[in-house]
Amino acid sequence: MSALEIKHLFGLRGVSKHDIRLILDHAKQFREILERPVKKVPSLRGMTVVNLFFENSTRTRTSFELAEKRLSADTVNFASSNSSVKKGETLVDTLRNIEAMKIDIVVVRHKGTGVPKFLADNSNAIIVNAGDGAHEHPTQALLDMLTVEEKLGTLEGKNVTIIGDIRHSRVARSNLWGMTTMGAHVTLCGPSTLVPRNTDLMNHVTWEPDVKKAVANADAIIALRLQKERMDDALLPSMREYRNTFGITQELLDCAKDKVIIMHPGPINRGYGRSLPFGWRSQQ
Amino acid sequence: MKMRKPCKGRLVNVVLKNAKRWNGKSFELEREARLNACDGAETVEFDCNGALVMPALFGLGLDFMEPLRDDVYTFADGFEAMRKGGFYGGLYESAANPIDDADKFTAMVNRFKTEELGGKDFEIKFLGAYSKGFGTDGLAEMVELAEAGVAGFGDGNAAIPHSRFLRLAMEYGKMTGKRFFFQPMDRTLRHSGCVHEGAYSDMLGMKGIPRIAETIAAYTILETARFLQVPVHLKQVTCGETLDLVCRARKAGIDVTCDVGLYHLLLDDSCLETLDSAYHILPPIRSAADREALWQGVEDGTVNAISVSHTPVLRQDTVVNFEDSVPGALSLEVALPAIWNKLVERVGEARAIELFSTAPAHLAGADSAHDNVVVFAPDRPHVVVESDFAGHVCNSPLMGKELPSSILATYINGVWTAL
Repeated sequence: MSALEIKHLFGLRGVSKHDIRLILDHAKQFREILERPVKKVPSLRGMTVVNLFFENSTRTRTSFELAEKRLSADTVNFASSNSSVKKGETLVDTLRNIEAMKIDIVVVRHKGTGVPKFLADNSNAIIVNAGDGAHEHPTQALLDMLTVEEKLGTLEGKNVTIIGDIRHSRVARSNLWGMTTMGAHVTLCGPSTLVPRNTDLMNHVTWEPDVKKAVANADAIIALRLQKERMDDALLPSMREYRNTFGITQELLDCAKDKVIIMHPGPINRGYGRSLPFGWRSQQ
Repeated sequence: MKMRKPCKGRLVNVVLKNAKRWNGKSFELEREARLNACDGAETVEFDCNGALVMPALFGLGLDFMEPLRDDVYTFADGFEAMRKGGFYGGLYESAANPIDDADKFTAMVNRFKTEELGGKDFEIKFLGAYSKGFGTDGLAEMVELAEAGVAGFGDGNAAIPHSRFLRLAMEYGKMTGKRFFFQPMDRTLRHSGCVHEGAYSDMLGMKGIPRIAETIAAYTILETARFLQVPVHLKQVTCGETLDLVCRARKAGIDVTCDVGLYHLLLDDSCLETLDSAYHILPPIRSAADREALWQGVEDGTVNAISVSHTPVLRQDTVVNFEDSVPGALSLEVALPAIWNKLVERVGEARAIELFSTAPAHLAGADSAHDNVVVFAPDRPHVVVESDFAGHVCNSPLMGKELPSSILATYINGVWTAL
């Protein structure tokens, strides 16, 4: 099997179809490991991975840690809340200190767009983005793509509709780059205050303000939660109106294809984004 | 670590050989041109080999950020930057220490004139603040500041707190007859934005500053100026819509001038793709279409001058991710080589010199360049390196880039600097 063309995983924009295919195919193989009594392979034996989380995270950090351990890597968890960052240490200083301990891979989550690239520019370690601001969250998107492929067979030629708070969603951005690279057409739908104002640089992406039209031709629907922690404006009049307009209801699904799959990256804003149980969720 | 050079220069007379010297209309080859500082001074000969000798420049938007960190950047470094870049003077706005009363103005002037800094060699004009401490809604002592000699009033890049204060400040400042220099930026529309709101900000998930943050503020300023009949200047205009407002205001009889920033003419927001904090500049670098609109404003005369907005930023504030970095860029040392060829291509040599030298000096009420000159090779490329910049900072988006031209030497107030 050929090697990845990329050294780091900053995001899915610009990542080739070849690399995405390689990652997804590997993921399918590794999935089988979870069914074994001993859930461990030596792929990363001898490698040290630091999980550098400057933002709160439960699912992503746990997922990374479990995956690292199951691939036999030595892992170290770093949370900014109990680190020298609190004493004023800069990002570069933190990285240099950690790097001095001869680490191989850094998994980073940060509120600032571009922090993974910044760290790569200032270190020799391999950087994996676990979410940077509202920019990208490539691993979550890869999981979504894996789920779609498992359920629909392929992404090529499929219509994927992403509904909700797209402007503040790094998952949505990674999804639209990755899925369009793999041949899907992505439709964005949400309140006009919560979708990107300008999609000029996003090929094979359209914005459809009418949610019924947005789902009509969809093979997969990804419903996003409202990123309340990133909202610092009056972006919605009320959750009630949002739910009534953009919530995934039976009435809405009556407008969609019979075999449409519905996904949600979680965590769910109970009562806002959904009124029905979901068909599938991406599994890390 | 760069060594700090003494800024104070030695007076010399200069003989320039084979220079194409600006005669007020065009560059004319002179086999020998003499620039005399004083009788009895040593004479330096310099063979220009056909290089251009043009009037030295006048910089709008200088801020050396003293007191920032005296070990990193001082007034002396600012003057060295001016000398390297061929600037004989500039309009200074102090964000680090706003000049909001006459005592501060006197202290600032005295500091600039300190012998060892070398500041007395330069034609520096100052803007006084119109609010206490910049961006507040308390009036600065504008009448006394005007009597003390400020060139006009401005609050740096601080946003106007609200329209009522704008009216009161202009109404009060009108007594002085001085021009108000505004950075049009509506603070509520800017909110927490740090880049131009457009395709790139949406693609990168970064908070944007929409054009209307500028146009709405500009409209408010121009309407207030019309109402009160106060002369105003709009600093660092970034989009064509604001230039349209300037044109309409002039037709309505308002005394309004404006400038555009160096980097707003050189760059567009595609640079954001690099996520390099060197491109963190406020007001933000806008789209390619906006940049072209600014060039058209330069061509048709709507734009009065090009500003340099020279702002040193501590290294520790730039070596961070984009959104956490401090905005600002150095420009004095690289402005002329970076833009001269493009400028001449678009507007010709005479207008280029006007935009960079005579017009900004006129706006600041300063004297013209006289015998202060820049020896300039328009076709000699130069890669920007850290040592090109004065002080211990090098925050410039042009760092590492190849500029199409080079400054060979400058002659400012009798001090010859060969580069």
